[in-house]
Amino acid sequence: METPERVAGVRLRPTVTPIAAGTYRVEHDGRVAIVYVAGPPEDRWAFWDGHVYHDDPPGDGRVDSGPRASAEPLLTAPMPATVVKVLVAAGSPVRRGDALVVLEAMKMELAVRAPRDGVVTAVHCREGDLVQPERVLIEIA
Amino acid sequence: MRQGPAAEPRHSDKNTILGFTLQSDQAPFPPFHGAAFPFCILSSVFCILSLLLERLLIANRGEIAIRIISACRELGVESVAVYSEADAGAAHVNAADRAVFLGPAPAAQSYLSIPNILRAVKESGADSVHPGYGFLSENSAFAAACEAAGVVFVGPPSDVIASMGSKIEARRVMQAAGVPVVPGETPDDQSDAGIVRTVERVGLPVLIKASAGGGGKGMRRVTRRDELQEAVSSARREATAAFDDGTLYVERWFERPRHLEVQVLADAHGRIVHLFERECSIQRRHQKVIEESPSIALTPQLRDQLTQAAVTAARSVRYRNAGTIEFLLDTHGGNEDARFYFLEMNTRLQVEHPVTELVTGVDLVRAQILVASGDPIPWTADSLIQRGHAIEARVYAEDPSRGFLPQAGRIWLYREPPGPGIRIDSGVQEGSEVPVHYDPLLAKVIAIGESRDVAAVRLMDALRRFPILGVRTNIPFLLRVLSHPRFEAGQIDTGFLDAEDAVLTASGPESLPDVVRAAFAAHAPEEGPTRQKSPMAVDSRDPWKRLKGWRA
Repeated sequence: METPERVAGVRLRPTVTPIAAGTYRVEHDGRVAIVYVAGPPEDRWAFWDGHVYHDDPPGDGRVDSGPRASAEPLLTAPMPATVVKVLVAAGSPVRRGDALVVLEAMKMELAVRAPRDGVVTAVHCREGDLVQPERVLIEIA
Repeated sequence: MRQGPAAEPRHSDKNTILGFTLQSDQAPFPPFHGAAFPFCILSSVFCILSLLLERLLIANRGEIAIRIISACRELGVESVAVYSEADAGAAHVNAADRAVFLGPAPAAQSYLSIPNILRAVKESGADSVHPGYGFLSENSAFAAACEAAGVVFVGPPSDVIASMGSKIEARRVMQAAGVPVVPGETPDDQSDAGIVRTVERVGLPVLIKASAGGGGKGMRRVTRRDELQEAVSSARREATAAFDDGTLYVERWFERPRHLEVQVLADAHGRIVHLFERECSIQRRHQKVIEESPSIALTPQLRDQLTQAAVTAARSVRYRNAGTIEFLLDTHGGNEDARFYFLEMNTRLQVEHPVTELVTGVDLVRAQILVASGDPIPWTADSLIQRGHAIEARVYAEDPSRGFLPQAGRIWLYREPPGPGIRIDSGVQEGSEVPVHYDPLLAKVIAIGESRDVAAVRLMDALRRFPILGVRTNIPFLLRVLSHPRFEAGQIDTGFLDAEDAVLTASGPESLPDVVRAAFAAHAPEEGPTRQKSPMAVDSRDPWKRLKGWRA
């Protein structure tokens, strides 16, 4: 894998040397970086210098740019939780990233956010509800 | 993995200890006590039965279960792990000498189920239970159930847990013991004039809230006198509407306080020691994120007062085992003029206990087990000093750029960074599943150095070299906090994370760096580690499939 290429003394491509399972020594512009890569092809992750990079399908090396199943219209509870706040009602227009419902579980608050712009078509929870995983909370069209 | 149970050495330890015990029963002044057990003579009023616990069930999971199991191993105490359906292949189950199945994944049916835990105690023949933190650790009914079942609860007596669990009762007890509490009272005279007089006594700014209250209903902050009248009437209206009771409570309000706490340990022989303070001002919605010891906000005099107040507090409730007294520190008048107020007492081991262990050099969990066995505290107050500075960062499986959404999934790669002054208390390993059901704490990274700066640099360096692949973690967020100018300057308070939220939670780099792109390209699919399925894989509810639903 040693493929140093130089043009007029400038290294164009990084040199990658595997040094352990999932561990790569990458030399670039005269500097050495240790990069970790792991995960199955459809769920590839990398780590370098405190940052995590998630390789989205189809694997063109983009940084994880957002939620993956973005066509999914149902928003469900990720874990057993209590509904602390419902921030929208049926008919509310929402923008991608808007908090829709605030849940609380294990002393943590977490917001269920809109995956994309749209309109809320149904709200299936009320403040104070105990919700189980996969319970649909909000529907967006 | 351990090579078989520690039956042999444990047995011989046990004999030695039993040997002393039997001897001391026969002869009140045995010469062989002198060197090995000086405490035995000091507390000769008590019959010292140094019967070490034999088999300890850890009613918890994750890093704290593993931490307690290590202490058991060192002491020759057999450890019993418990696990839910979601944790069959979890790291803590593999670390213990025995493991007992509890029940389904939801905590209410497993780690929070008193009947299920008691059944596991019986099934495993454990003589003692360590509750860890969270779950049942501060549940007085659980402690009482252990007491009733004749099982040693590694913690304080159940009545102490109950009284400290009630905010009102705890405040009353502390006030009676002379420990400063946040100034506040329910005025006898509930007329407008009566409340104004109380506000003048308590001192502005104040919080006026429904006495029957909760949930922020009927709560008003008043910083200026001319806002008072309006605040009183509206708070009363809201309180009456919400609770059918317009009685108001007036409490001093502090702007940007710091959160300090004092670790204490008490034994069954009336000894109480403190192990200095921890500062936990870096918190998000009452969830601590970064903790350190010592606190740079304390002068030596204030530290003496604070730690003495903590010892007084512990003594006043006849505390036993490890506990923490939390204080609010108001540094408004500058550090020289800072004042502290009792907030609450946590009747358990804290997540952040390692920073205390690193600066004092003692093992708190070991001490907990010894004290629960009836032993005296294994060190004296004079022998405890704070040496250097320790900082802990909690690594959570959560995505700071998406509202700290907890993450779940398989950990494909996990490598702990070695380094001077670095300790890692972890609950996961390569191949672990991070289930959706529990607190998403993966590991704690604790750094110690000769100064706060050195500790912070070591901690940041360790976090930058800590690859955890398969779930998003808050490591980028932790690095931003630690390198924030306000953190570096020590100008922190409990509002810090909220105030700096936008800077701290911004998304990561937009483009893929060349070196990462190159490594991705070089990584052939078959080189991926941990290809084999973990035991968790038999559970068809793949966390990733669930994730898609709510990440969407």
